[in-house]
Amino acid sequence: MDWLIWVYLLVFFFGFFFMFIFLILHYRYKSFLHYVPPLSKEKPLISFLVPAYNEEKTIKKTVTSLIALDYPMNKKEIIIINDGSKDGTLKIARALEKKYSCIKVLDKPNSGKADSLNEAIKMIHGKFMAVVDADSYPKSDALINMLGHFGDTTVGAVTSRVLVKNKKNWLEKFQIMDYSIIAWTRKLLDFVDSVYVTNGPFSLYRTSVVRKIGGFDTKNLTEDIEITWHILSAGYTTRMSYDAIVYTSVPSRLKEWIKQRVRWNLGGLQTIIKYRKDFFKKGVFGYFILPYVSSAFFFAIIGFFLFLRYLWLKGSYQLVSLFYLFRGYNYFKYFEFDFFLSLLLLFGVIFFFISLWYYKIGFKHSETGNQNILKILCYSFIYRPLYVIPLLLAIYKMIRGDIRWYTK
Amino acid sequence: MVHKIVYNRFRVFVESFLLACVILLVGFSLGFFVENYRTSKVIADYRANEIESLDLKLQNYYYQIMDQSSCDSAIEQNFVFADKIYLEGLNIEKFEEMNQISEDIKIEKKKYVLLKTELWLNTLLLKEKCNADFDIAVYFYSSDPSDTVKVAEQKILSNVLKEIKEERGNKLVLIPLAGDLDLQIVDLQMKNYKITELPSILINEKNILIGFNSKENIEKYLSSSK
Repeated sequence: MDWLIWVYLLVFFFGFFFMFIFLILHYRYKSFLHYVPPLSKEKPLISFLVPAYNEEKTIKKTVTSLIALDYPMNKKEIIIINDGSKDGTLKIARALEKKYSCIKVLDKPNSGKADSLNEAIKMIHGKFMAVVDADSYPKSDALINMLGHFGDTTVGAVTSRVLVKNKKNWLEKFQIMDYSIIAWTRKLLDFVDSVYVTNGPFSLYRTSVVRKIGGFDTKNLTEDIEITWHILSAGYTTRMSYDAIVYTSVPSRLKEWIKQRVRWNLGGLQTIIKYRKDFFKKGVFGYFILPYVSSAFFFAIIGFFLFLRYLWLKGSYQLVSLFYLFRGYNYFKYFEFDFFLSLLLLFGVIFFFISLWYYKIGFKHSETGNQNILKILCYSFIYRPLYVIPLLLAIYKMIRGDIRWYTK
Repeated sequence: MVHKIVYNRFRVFVESFLLACVILLVGFSLGFFVENYRTSKVIADYRANEIESLDLKLQNYYYQIMDQSSCDSAIEQNFVFADKIYLEGLNIEKFEEMNQISEDIKIEKKKYVLLKTELWLNTLLLKEKCNADFDIAVYFYSSDPSDTVKVAEQKILSNVLKEIKEERGNKLVLIPLAGDLDLQIVDLQMKNYKITELPSILINEKNILIGFNSKENIEKYLSSSK
């Protein structure tokens, strides 16, 4: 058997394996998707950290949404960190500071998000700290839907469900579907203690745990992934609350989208490399999360090259045929479509239908609600293949060591 | 707490692993079954063709020794057999592309190439002994699927040849032979006719047309009557 067939089979095997994990988890735990642990009577002080760099357009709304959270005002401590903004962010922050006694502004030279957060951690008093992106808006019940998870003392962090705020153009609409699936799968992974990202828009941390592990990694491009892995690696668990909703602005243009995803991919790769020693150690973190995230990268690349090879073979064949068509040899007469049953075709068809099933139930249980097959097909065959562009760019930058331009 | 409710929730990994194994095994078995079915069909056809080929060979001897005056029947049968074996060859090419598990089909393909070579030699003898006026076109092609440019070129060329054959019927024996299967008799013939490139068409053992050739050009080398 050709070695390439083995590669295809390996990709299919892991594709099936991961797909089944999500499907089984869904059917086993779907009645617990919206489970919110009860809150204790005690209302601990919560520190909200809002790092901001040139966020004059959104910062006010973000802070207002924090003020509006269902939680006693005297139990909120909001720190706006102005990370050397060049626009009017500081002015707006100062005005908010004047208006609300629970707001403090930390003004510092630009040094990046992770460093800004670390600076703020030194001055906060809350038992729990929330990190909030300055262009994100948590729903008023988001905090109380997350806080109950800390009743389990092994929980180091709880994350929310991110939904898309801007929903106009095709890219934004695709991202609505994307964020829905991401949130649904993340919640499913919660059932096996495998929430591997506490997102930037709105996540809650046990302050003592963050301090214990030394805060955020300033060298990592995705400090939210890195800190989650750090917390997991230290033996704590992370949770996700499906009913804690936060709205965030997503890129409207492809160029911005690629830039954002390159950063995600680069940060992801950086994190895998940093925690490579934990492979097949430390319970579910080393036995599942690390192999799962790494293999997602690996199979995306392999899949892309297999597709590229297929495209080259078929494309060059059709091009040559086209050349003969122009020379007067009737193309359609020679164009044949053979639909013989073959091993890979069989697996491809099975995989396609399982994927449809997976997306169908994923959307049904998320913000988008039921989606028709056409939309799912567009999402799978137009939007998802775009994933490979930032991934390849990230690998290229990683190889060249060119990640500096991303750090602020 | 929800996470404490179900006993050993990590068993999902084992279950998913087993399910993926089952899908792979079932798919693999089904694929194996289909491929075996295809190969066994080719083997069965080959056996029938082998008998027919032997029959033709013996008829040749018969006409040479016993009845040199009546060749029509032999020529007719030769054409029927050539057409049949040509179609079988096309089927094998398709099956070879689709079979991904077993290599058996490749062996069958080699056997067919030998059978077609035998047909060619037989046809040469028949043409000479019966003093027949049909043309013989032997189409040597490459069976390497990785050279897609060549694959496309050959696909067009084989269709051009097929069209010529359909038009000329019993005036042309068309024998496609894969020239890169390391079969000594084929290599020997290629060396004999100085064929060094694939694809090439050998017409009436005299003219060699290298690479892609238009229908008009190929027809120039064939007897004028259709």
